[in-house]
Amino acid sequence: MRLAVPVKAIGQRFALPILVLASVAMIILGKADTLLFERLRGSFGDIAAPVLGVLSEPVAAVDRAIARFHDMVALYDENGRLREENTRLLQWQQAAQQLATENTRLRELLKLAPDPSASFVSARVIANSGGTYFRSVLIDAGGGDGVVRGQAAITGEGLVGRITEVGERASRILLLTDINSHIPIALDGTRERAVLAGDNSNQPRLLYLPARATVKVGDRVVTSGNGGIFPPGLPVGVIAAIQDGIVRVEPYAELSRLDYLRVVNYGLGGVLPQPVPPRPAKPPRGAAREAP
Amino acid sequence: MRAALTQRGEWSAAQAIPPATILVLSILSVLPLRVPDYAAVTPLLPLAGVYYWTIYRPEWLPPLVTFLCGLVLDLLTGAPLGVSSLLFLLARTAVFSQRRFFINRLFPFMWGGFTLLAAAAIAFLWLLGGFIEGAMLDTRAVTLQWVLTVACFPAVSYLLMRIQRRLLPS
Repeated sequence: MRLAVPVKAIGQRFALPILVLASVAMIILGKADTLLFERLRGSFGDIAAPVLGVLSEPVAAVDRAIARFHDMVALYDENGRLREENTRLLQWQQAAQQLATENTRLRELLKLAPDPSASFVSARVIANSGGTYFRSVLIDAGGGDGVVRGQAAITGEGLVGRITEVGERASRILLLTDINSHIPIALDGTRERAVLAGDNSNQPRLLYLPARATVKVGDRVVTSGNGGIFPPGLPVGVIAAIQDGIVRVEPYAELSRLDYLRVVNYGLGGVLPQPVPPRPAKPPRGAAREAP
Repeated sequence: MRAALTQRGEWSAAQAIPPATILVLSILSVLPLRVPDYAAVTPLLPLAGVYYWTIYRPEWLPPLVTFLCGLVLDLLTGAPLGVSSLLFLLARTAVFSQRRFFINRLFPFMWGGFTLLAAAAIAFLWLLGGFIEGAMLDTRAVTLQWVLTVACFPAVSYLLMRIQRRLLPS
């Protein structure tokens, strides 16, 4: 008991420098090896998820009410626009059905291995990341729901980002605008490959675009499937600006208004460390030639 | 309530109030408001908590508790662990050393102090973030974050003052 007093006094005296050093050490360790911290974050997400889930609901409700009010004001114009769009889409539907049938037939002719079938987990965004340097969101689905690190998160419009931390009930999605986000993409049409790199602005930029590539504002950008993290062909965005050799992409998904989104499992192993499912056997060479 | 918390048995409950309010401010700052570009300029609300309690109840916000508050904020926001802990510890040290200039002074004086602290804190985060990520970012977002943080301070400090007066012994 007598010892306890000086020990406590020393503890109090050196608490500040020790804790400052501990913080610095954590920052450095976190940069070097993230596995331990990732687990810690995952477990913390599980604890925080129910609280954040409850608290984010009224915020979402207010947002939905405002959106509904806006919609009501614009109802008449919107209706006209939608009718027009519907007519156009019906034509597209016809075309898509024809193409789908043709595609299936051609695939059969070529004996192509079928694409892995996708399954989805729907989740709600329960927390944003505050701050200038980090663009991520926390969702209320985790490993228990089938979410795995590396999977793609999408909205109806397009790609949002990828799962970087997984807890049992919650996971974190690194948005494609984050400075750490690098996504292999392809320009729809020319199939030129590049990497979509976030820089914390609202419009991520294209890196490693081949010099010979022709690119213009309005071109569609989709995932290329390189690296095996994402399936090819997920819509990402459109080329928004080309200035001084920097090509910027406007994402289709409205990243600042995320509410519900889907986590996509295509059963791809990818380059991230996780068990790799066996790939379907490739057809033997020349199989296509044998087809009638 | 005041009577209950001032009794000796309830001492620890009262001590939990400063970190609890900082935790609430941390949660408030990560709630997904669907305002365009809000995420990048989210005000640093918990810093206001650290500032307020360091001035009025530094003994209930010891370094270890400050460190843990920062850790929880980093876990909530997804920032590299240790960043907010370091920020809060440095902010606490700076404010504690200048405490006598702020205590029991008029509100504008306290607000002015927070304006300086927030500027230093956000600049620090900007530099540290740049160091960690290896790239310096646009200063417009951080400037706006500073303005919002400073603008939120009167409301936060009013709430904390009410909590302090109602629940904590003088």
